[in-house]
Amino acid sequence: MSGEEEENAAELKIGEEFLKAKCLMNCEVARILDHKYDQLQQTSDDPTNQISQVFEKSMQYVKRFSRYKNPDAVRQVREVLSRYKLAEFELCVLGNLCPETVEEAIAIVPSIKSKGRMLEDDAIEKMLHDLSLIKKFE
Amino acid sequence: MFFHITLERNMQLHPRHFGPHLRDKLVAKLMKDVEGTCSGRHGFVVAITGVEDIGKGLIREGTGFVTFPVKYQAVVFRPFKGEILEAVVTMVNKMGFFAEAGPVQIFVSNHLIPDDMEFQSGDMPNYTTSDGSVKIQKDSEVRLKIIGTRVDATEIFCIGTIKDDFLGVINDPGASA
Repeated sequence: MSGEEEENAAELKIGEEFLKAKCLMNCEVARILDHKYDQLQQTSDDPTNQISQVFEKSMQYVKRFSRYKNPDAVRQVREVLSRYKLAEFELCVLGNLCPETVEEAIAIVPSIKSKGRMLEDDAIEKMLHDLSLIKKFE
Repeated sequence: MFFHITLERNMQLHPRHFGPHLRDKLVAKLMKDVEGTCSGRHGFVVAITGVEDIGKGLIREGTGFVTFPVKYQAVVFRPFKGEILEAVVTMVNKMGFFAEAGPVQIFVSNHLIPDDMEFQSGDMPNYTTSDGSVKIQKDSEVRLKIIGTRVDATEIFCIGTIKDDFLGVINDPGASA
């Protein structure tokens, strides 16, 4: 970790550890937590006891902000986005917020336009179009 | 942002748990100890999804407790400076508003709310534009940018802004962008 001061998600400075880690979109988290919640209910007689506040709040949050409900759509989103040489973090921000225009995409993920990256506006536009298609046919 | 990462922890186990169910005991204790906690480095540990490896135990002199190094995978929530995310407004007052994104609380000061939004007190305090088209009140969904984080021993607290392009209320039709 390069120190708290330098952290800036807009420039993709999120620390070595998290850059390498697998990011999860809200809809993916919703599936994992749902599964875990079911498991807890089966194994324990008093599940409410076992569930932390953090778990409960996260579950409410991801359910509220999941863009894609269908597991297949979630998989497709990841597949489509991964074609564009995005970092995990960028991929998930795009998947979570679903920008509609190129300007919006650049505003929420400034690092996709930073120097050294080959993504042109056309490519971004195509990517957003692909995303909206998945949403439409979900 | 939510992450799926591998973490390590040294678990101390009382000798009374040694036996055929040692692993189960260890995993149960790990979940009880770790889930719901928060650290500045890794953020909030939401759920443990699997145990990768349990190392060789080491007996602690004098107590009989054994320490096991445990590697496990967990879903964590870690907010970053500069990150843009969606949140639910929980409280509005004249200083600004509080919003929640999963386990994390975010405060947006009135200086970081667009200048054309005015505070309105009353039963349902809110921030409204002069033409009344955009309104931020309790339970509104907003898209905000995190501009600062403060790390406590058990909590991460964030400062956010909605005074930028493509930020602001999202569940209010006609209010996006």
